[in-house]
Amino acid sequence: MMNAMLSVENLRKVYRSRRRGDTVAVDDVSFSVAPNEVVGLLGPNGAGKTTTIKCLCTLLAPTSGRIVIHGVDAQADPSAALRSISAVLEGNRNVYWRLNPRENLEFFAGIQGLPMRRVRPYIDDLIELFDLGDKASTPARMLSRGMQQKLAVACALVKQTEILLLDEPTLGLDVETSHELRRILKDMARNGERTILLSSHDMNVVQSVCDRVIVVNHGRIVTDDRVENLLELFRAKAYEFSISGHLSEGQAQQLREAFDLIEIEPDTHKSSIHVELMDGQRFYDLVDILRQNGSTIESIDRQDPNLEEIFLKLVQEEG
Amino acid sequence: MAALVMTKAMFKRYGIELRRYYVNTVSTLASVYLIFLLIFLGLRAFAGGGADFGDTTSGLVVGFMVWFLAVFAYSELSWVLMQEAQQGTLEQLSMSPLGLKRVLIGRLAASLVFDVAIMFLFLLLMMLTTGKWLSLNLASVLPLLLVTVMGVFGIGFIMGGLALVFKRIQQSFQILQFIFVALVAAPVQAFPLVKFLPLSWGTHLINRSMIGGESIAQMPLADLLLLAGNSVFYFTLGLLVFGYFEKVARDRGLLGHY
Repeated sequence: MMNAMLSVENLRKVYRSRRRGDTVAVDDVSFSVAPNEVVGLLGPNGAGKTTTIKCLCTLLAPTSGRIVIHGVDAQADPSAALRSISAVLEGNRNVYWRLNPRENLEFFAGIQGLPMRRVRPYIDDLIELFDLGDKASTPARMLSRGMQQKLAVACALVKQTEILLLDEPTLGLDVETSHELRRILKDMARNGERTILLSSHDMNVVQSVCDRVIVVNHGRIVTDDRVENLLELFRAKAYEFSISGHLSEGQAQQLREAFDLIEIEPDTHKSSIHVELMDGQRFYDLVDILRQNGSTIESIDRQDPNLEEIFLKLVQEEG
Repeated sequence: MAALVMTKAMFKRYGIELRRYYVNTVSTLASVYLIFLLIFLGLRAFAGGGADFGDTTSGLVVGFMVWFLAVFAYSELSWVLMQEAQQGTLEQLSMSPLGLKRVLIGRLAASLVFDVAIMFLFLLLMMLTTGKWLSLNLASVLPLLLVTVMGVFGIGFIMGGLALVFKRIQQSFQILQFIFVALVAAPVQAFPLVKFLPLSWGTHLINRSMIGGESIAQMPLADLLLLAGNSVFYFTLGLLVFGYFEKVARDRGLLGHY
């Protein structure tokens, strides 16, 4: 992508160990993120999400491949690349527990080299935005986990970089704080304030905040598409047939043999068939089987899968 | 400019933490004073009970002062790195566009100011305890001390690099403390090659200033250049070794581990 804010080309990271042998954490991963785009990085544990993020913020040296941050080769000039990037990596462990929120924010702005007179009004804004006003003078160790996590995100934001990397920003948070953090990220995304790459197990966060999602598994990209495209693609494939009356065991057996991804819920009055059809022709095959057996189709509904179901299917297919 | 802002932030954080960890600060200083008292009283008993046992007392005061500063200077960095890794903030420091080395130099500058101030208070306390009043020409002693400590920081960077990769290296601190005693007390005039070791030549010049009353302006240029060269050598060596271990840590993904 010509005007990418962040681009990764053929990234590969291998951890070498004499005792355990080589572990390929990231294998030939390439993607780019446009300015102000919000991209979700999804994958099961050990898929390579955190390794990818740590390579992006120069904490890990890639084995091979190229990372370009805001036009700067991150391996050739990490200092210049780090002027454009900030990250929250370990949630609430990213802040100084003996310092209060304001002191933490001032410190993180300081190590970024930002003069206090320039950043002080923004610190006030962040304290307000993250609702830390009442606790601005309380040492971070005395804050709740949720507040510490919010503070960690605020500390990344105070660096005023164009790119924000968030590794599991809502992990371990209660529903309320997770919702609040999601709202803040959503607002930032809507206002086009930052280019964000976030990894999360929380599909709700990804579905509600991200424009695009990259699914990784075993260190490789399984899919890279816009969230609505993925939802549409899987919506078009998944159907629910409602059949009036009983579905015989013979019919059910015939359907199971003909279709791989099928679930049948037999009932005396109304049976349901959930099926995924990869090929449009198969839709008619299914209708034919039902018609041959004299079943009455009451309704056919396209199912709306959520991102979690899509994610699981993609990872299972890939596995 | 950015480096100045970063150093200021380091000073501020160091000051806040010292205030909030004041019990730890006070108990560390008390234990160091206790060690001095034990050595002094032991030496006095060995010398025959008199409070003044000549130049040995002066040597002990100066030697202990330099040793105190050197031990704090070299161990500070390793402690900081281990603590930051444990807290989970080391990765954040490593992401400063100024680079981890410069961030750590800022941190060392902050602690050095405090350590030197404490050291002078300590010196007064030691002089009061021993009744031995030394020549304290700050214009001479301070530059000699700072340049000497610069070389010790190099050792600190080597230890810090080891701490980045191997994490728990506290045991080696104990051994180094004894090595530092030997370096401070090393007879540089009897064994000229000792001059090239860290700390020894600097301690010798500080002794000359504080016990012999020789000002920095009276010292031969060659002696001062030897000190500067020695410190620059060990400091640069420390940075190079630290850079190597930092690269290893980034390669193996050890910056966030403890």
